[in-house]
Amino acid sequence: MTSQDLSTSHAALLRDAMAGRLSRRQALQRAVALGLSAPAMAGLMTAYRSSPVAAQDAPATSPLAGKTIDMSILGIGGWPPSRLGVDLATELFKPYAKETLGYDVNFTFEESPFDQLFQKAATSLQAESAQYNIIISDSQWLGALAEPGWILQLNDIIAENPELQIEFEPAAREGYQIFPDGSDQVWGLPQEGDTIALFVRQDLFSDQAERDAFKAANGGTDLPQTFEDWEQIDIVAFEKIAAHFTRPEQGLAGTAMQWSKVYDYISCYLYPFMFSTGGEIIEGDVGSYKIEGVLDSQVNADAMALNKRFLDYAPNGATNFGIPELVDQFTTGTCATCFQWSALGPQMMNQKAGAAAGEADDPSKPVTPENVMIVAPPAFKQADGSLKRVYALGGQPWTINAFNDADHLQVAVDYMKFWYRPETQLEFARRGGNPSVKATLDDPEFDTLQPHFRAFKYMIREGRSRDFWHDPNYAEMLATQQEAFSAYLTGTVEDPMQALKYTACEQQGILFDGERTEIEPSEACNDVSL
Amino acid sequence: MNETSWRQHLYHGLLWLIALLFFMPVLWIFLAAFKAEGLLVSWPPRWFFTPTLDNLRDVFARPGFWSYLAMSFVLSIGAVVIALVVSFLAAYSFSRYKPTGTNFIMFLLLSVRMVPATAVVVPVFLMYSAFGWSKTFHGMLLFYAMFAIPFSLWILKGFLDGVSERYDETALVNGGSRLHVIFRVVLPQVKPGLVAAFIFNIIFVWNEFLFNYLLGGKGTTMIPVLLATGVNEGGSVDWTFIASLSFIYMLPPILAIFLFQKYLLVGMTFGTVRGEV
Amino acid sequence: MAQLGTHLDRPIVGATPAARGRRAWTRALDDSRFFPSLLLVPILIFFVVWNVVPLLWLVGVSFYRYKVTSSREPSFVGWENFAEIFQSTEIWRTLGRTLTFMLLSVGLATILGVLLGLLFWGSQRMPGRRLALTLLFTPMVLPPVAVGTFFRLIYEPNFGVVNYYAQQIVGRRFDFLGDKDLAFFATVAVDVWMWTPFMILMTLAALGSVPKAELEAAEVDRLPWLQRLRYIVLPHGKFILMLGILLRTIDAFKTTDLPYLMTNGGPGNQTELVGLSLYRTGFEAFQMGDASSLAVVTLLVAIAFTSVYLYVLNYRAARVEMR
Repeated sequence: MTSQDLSTSHAALLRDAMAGRLSRRQALQRAVALGLSAPAMAGLMTAYRSSPVAAQDAPATSPLAGKTIDMSILGIGGWPPSRLGVDLATELFKPYAKETLGYDVNFTFEESPFDQLFQKAATSLQAESAQYNIIISDSQWLGALAEPGWILQLNDIIAENPELQIEFEPAAREGYQIFPDGSDQVWGLPQEGDTIALFVRQDLFSDQAERDAFKAANGGTDLPQTFEDWEQIDIVAFEKIAAHFTRPEQGLAGTAMQWSKVYDYISCYLYPFMFSTGGEIIEGDVGSYKIEGVLDSQVNADAMALNKRFLDYAPNGATNFGIPELVDQFTTGTCATCFQWSALGPQMMNQKAGAAAGEADDPSKPVTPENVMIVAPPAFKQADGSLKRVYALGGQPWTINAFNDADHLQVAVDYMKFWYRPETQLEFARRGGNPSVKATLDDPEFDTLQPHFRAFKYMIREGRSRDFWHDPNYAEMLATQQEAFSAYLTGTVEDPMQALKYTACEQQGILFDGERTEIEPSEACNDVSL
Repeated sequence: MNETSWRQHLYHGLLWLIALLFFMPVLWIFLAAFKAEGLLVSWPPRWFFTPTLDNLRDVFARPGFWSYLAMSFVLSIGAVVIALVVSFLAAYSFSRYKPTGTNFIMFLLLSVRMVPATAVVVPVFLMYSAFGWSKTFHGMLLFYAMFAIPFSLWILKGFLDGVSERYDETALVNGGSRLHVIFRVVLPQVKPGLVAAFIFNIIFVWNEFLFNYLLGGKGTTMIPVLLATGVNEGGSVDWTFIASLSFIYMLPPILAIFLFQKYLLVGMTFGTVRGEV
Repeated sequence: MAQLGTHLDRPIVGATPAARGRRAWTRALDDSRFFPSLLLVPILIFFVVWNVVPLLWLVGVSFYRYKVTSSREPSFVGWENFAEIFQSTEIWRTLGRTLTFMLLSVGLATILGVLLGLLFWGSQRMPGRRLALTLLFTPMVLPPVAVGTFFRLIYEPNFGVVNYYAQQIVGRRFDFLGDKDLAFFATVAVDVWMWTPFMILMTLAALGSVPKAELEAAEVDRLPWLQRLRYIVLPHGKFILMLGILLRTIDAFKTTDLPYLMTNGGPGNQTELVGLSLYRTGFEAFQMGDASSLAVVTLLVAIAFTSVYLYVLNYRAARVEMR
């Protein structure tokens, strides 16, 4: 039985279990027959607990029974995981609500790209409008949405609904749920977990001629071939690999990552260089945040210089590369490796949605699913010789509009409960979405469900990914540093320290003006500009 | 063929070449609308290829496309019609009675129209949020009407000043009422001004993005917002979608300047220059 | 006058009895001294609701610290926001950059427009003129959003069409929107492309305003070409041309969509224009106080431009009356 078959049977079993067609005992028997792992069984039994037969939301008692509700979800445009959140609502939750909860629900999806979505959400919420009932927020926005009271604090709702009392991956909890950092206030529920992965053109890397050439040039060291090989690759070794494949005359580049000024593109791919080499971006808590003197450290300046060096191994125009540009570059075969959010696994591999693994979505493109491998991005060697990876966390939480009326709130909560059913999570994963539920990731079958899951799971655990600030002032802080980092990358500013000093001064000022810190920018800041 | 006509042909050929040169980027967008996805990012660029209608079909099938397009029509036509009525009445009053403050109001209206949209939208956004007009249809419609009023007023006042007051007087002496004079006697005289104001304000509203994005809600979204926000699909840039949507959306303005070419000058200079090219 | 008479007789003779019956109250309306003001009621409502109220709002908020995404109440800060603007090197540099953009873009469009306008002068008998002019004038009626987005593809260094020809002709590709020395000019180039047709249009209008008789006289006198321009065309045409330049200047000052979509103000801040800064302050940072004070400053600049514009218009009117 292949993993594909297994997951299908698993799903069927779960469906039967939830629909109340099987007793607990029968379900267990079938699960054993399928050879399900212990965690999967545990998941199954969780499904049992929340099974509609036993649940309080039976048709007769659902306050919405007989009604028709129109729900609107605002999400990230062209971002497959957001789209999945809406597709599953229509395909699975709608019939479920009809059958089990007794009401009709219709979903519409409004979308905007990453860099424009917050404006769309904020201009609507500022008018206390409930036109978007559920909002897929990027993780950094939590504070900006929570602070003015635009989204619902979820602690009470979670306390009332055992189905929402789920153990998430710790990085997901910190990144997608909590504001202010370190508190226990919950504002979001993980929609899509995400980490950075490295996409590798395995057809090039396994080519014997390439391997021989690389060995000859690098004292006998071979090109990495497996996930385990890549685990041992640090950034120095990676630079050699990138250099090896950089052949502008053949239209091939060694690597590519996000360097665009738009939104958080540079930041997310520069931070790993800082975090992994011991750099920090902010210290202290609300009231005592300190950025000046923290961000503008020599470690961070060196990290910027190292990051910029990879521009030499990148395709033309790399300083305008954001998420979508990288997909175009990698799938058209212009780079041998590419850093990208793991959530885009299927798109980066040019894999046809919903088709059997391996089938190309656009056969005219040179990159096909079988010649792509997805691995952990390079590590950074520490002083003690150990390897360390601390990359930026991606991903988005669900948030619920605070101005929803009781009916829409009820549907939103019902959908959230439905979203975390093991069956739904499994379907989400099968279509390429990254789940954040710990039990789902623990399932030994999980790694094989999608080619990118192994790298995703590796990177979201053990502190290998972390988010940056969730402060309500994030947008200004982000815009400032994107401008400064872009200025350094493109040579407008020669000295990385100047870009860092400028950023640190501005950000300290932003937090001070916003009364988030008592520390004023220093006198020296008056002389710093880009 | 004599020498003059040969030179004439060469001259006309050169003019055509210049016109085509300016049109070239637009042509590139139009061609892209009929290219298969891979061809758009191909090297070398392709001028000749087997056209496909898939992209257009994809646009037509997009959720929201038809309602956004309908909204583009409704908002641009509705707002401009309101603006024309309002400005025509005002222009008549300004032109014939010259009330005190005429110049000042005309000046202020024009100034506001000269301010960057991003500056205008800040207070309007705050006001709309406070009044609950944000995201409403009438909020958007009346805002665009306001948007179209200054130029309509300027164009129509210019034209009305050019209509001799003797028309009004003769009609009044002959027993016509003021309203009769305004709508039956004077209005037909300024028809070119009305057409020019109509076409050019429509093009402005038709192409407008920022106000619609920030003040409009999901029920009042026009195509330019879709152009800016529907850029990505499946994780990458959806060039075929942008190209085919642009193609569809650019046709009406281009058609308008073809059909109403003689009003082009009046429209583009807000009535301060009259004549044809 | 004969023509006028016939035109006016028609509707009055044809007036229906019902219309005559209505005349009593319409007469009363006509004689009312409120009539002129009555016509102004709609526009005044618009003016007050959409100009005066927002303007007061704007000026009011510009004295406050008000961040939409903050739970803090707005607080009065006096002139602080304005002081910040005047002390900020960034904002001054942005204004300077906007000025450079304006000068370059309007300057180039004017030079090109005048030259091409002169070339198109006398094209009346050109075959397919209407279609040719439509193609020529197309760039100025396009949605800036579409233009901005699509020029990213046209400029793209790996498969962009401009780079293909750059490679063929000069043997190398350019990262037009990513290179710090090129991005600004690449943005200017798109603006020039969009608005040169407008300057051609204005040049043609200016040329059209030159009396035929004077031109014919010059033809008879065999006046050299340059002198004809200097002594006959320029005196008549310069006002219209001046208007064109002013309108373009005002528009170029407002440019926001193009850099927003093409470069997002980058690389670094090379294409950050004042319209874009306003947008960021207002709708990315949601600092409404800062945004309002910056908007007040740009409003004053715009009023200054408009005043020059009107001054030129009045000057022209005065000249026309003198003749």
